[in-house]
Amino acid sequence: MMAMSPIDPRLQEALDGERDPGTLPMDLREAYARLVGAANLLQTLPAVSVAARVMAEIHDLKPEVPSVRPARRLMRWLARPRAVTLRLRPAWTLALVAGLAAILLIPTQPTNRPSPGAQEGIAQFVGHFPGARSVEVVGSFNDWSRGSLHLRDEHHDGIWHGAAVLPAGPHEYMFIVDGERWVPDPLAGRYVDDGFGAGRENSLLIVRPAQASLDEDATLR
Amino acid sequence: MRVALVLVLIAAPLAAQNGGGAASRLAGRVPTAALPAIDSLIAAAVAESLPSEPLVQKALEGSAKGVPTDRLVNGVRRGLLQLREARVIVGRAMPDQPAPEAHVAAVSAALARGLGPAIVERLLTVAPNEPPGPVLHAAADLVAHRFNPDSAADLLVEAHNKGLHGMRLLDVAVAADHELQRAGGRTHADALARVRALLPNVPTAEVPPAVTRRRTKGS
Repeated sequence: MMAMSPIDPRLQEALDGERDPGTLPMDLREAYARLVGAANLLQTLPAVSVAARVMAEIHDLKPEVPSVRPARRLMRWLARPRAVTLRLRPAWTLALVAGLAAILLIPTQPTNRPSPGAQEGIAQFVGHFPGARSVEVVGSFNDWSRGSLHLRDEHHDGIWHGAAVLPAGPHEYMFIVDGERWVPDPLAGRYVDDGFGAGRENSLLIVRPAQASLDEDATLR
Repeated sequence: MRVALVLVLIAAPLAAQNGGGAASRLAGRVPTAALPAIDSLIAAAVAESLPSEPLVQKALEGSAKGVPTDRLVNGVRRGLLQLREARVIVGRAMPDQPAPEAHVAAVSAALARGLGPAIVERLLTVAPNEPPGPVLHAAADLVAHRFNPDSAADLLVEAHNKGLHGMRLLDVAVAADHELQRAGGRTHADALARVRALLPNVPTAEVPPAVTRRRTKGS
């Protein structure tokens, strides 16, 4: 490897404008004159590199490919495989994954709010039971089991209400007040003898599909 | 003979399976004293290709209500008899095909609501290939509001012929009831006539809006 010879500090100072070139020794003054001349020559030549000249010639070439419609070009662009470089910082990546997991896994609301399916509808229950401590609904939709559908008196005014998603069709039901008193729904509008010979009636609810068109035939049977 | 034997071999396990399913749902909920009789009634329904779910529901209902054993069993037995009557009616209305269980259950429910067999049979023949529940409940609604059963059936048949099907037939009954209540002194016949004039453009009942709700068993 060739070692570069150091430039004389006096010549350097003259080139930097820090020394008057006339004070230099003769040999250095000649060197100074050659260097300054070379610098002036470089400034007068156009600064065009080989790459720039090649690119300029490429630009001057007329495109020989037939014109392609924009939609087709877009389709080609979309269909062409491309290398994508993804630079990830582990800390940010972990934070992003944790955030997405939280959004997907944690329920947005503490209560169940299912959307009715195509053959389901929403049944709303309302009853006026002033002074009651609890009101629940049992019926054919929950095998007459207690504990699955409690009504609430949110305003403490004796008006108990609740709702449930049920299969479309008829359902017999009754209210149970304070855990022991069986009461038909006074607002049901439809009643049917319960068949046990004591003249008691169940309330009858016909649930309409919430999402299906009402003109379509529902599977009410 | 061989075919019959094969059918018996296929049907027996299926019947046992259905009966077994019902037994497991009733165990622990129906009083022990009532269980054998109720099991027997449900097995009879299964053997006769009648829907057993109405009987299971009746047994669960009576047990939840604390109905005495004898009345509980009688209630389930009454249900079985009603299913048998319903199948006869369906068979008359649809003589060319075996009675679908869903039709039998719907007719049984209509009978329980007080519809007469003749009206039920007539309504079944209007659209034998459609689920009969809506039109039967619409008729039962009208009869419950003291409309003449035959006039009610006439109105529903006309509504069906003008393009109303399924749940929309319930709107016909609601419209008739509204007409009855709208102005004092309007007779049932007037109300039916006014609804008939509206057909097929009777108002559509509102579907309850989405609110806080809970999905219950069976939904």
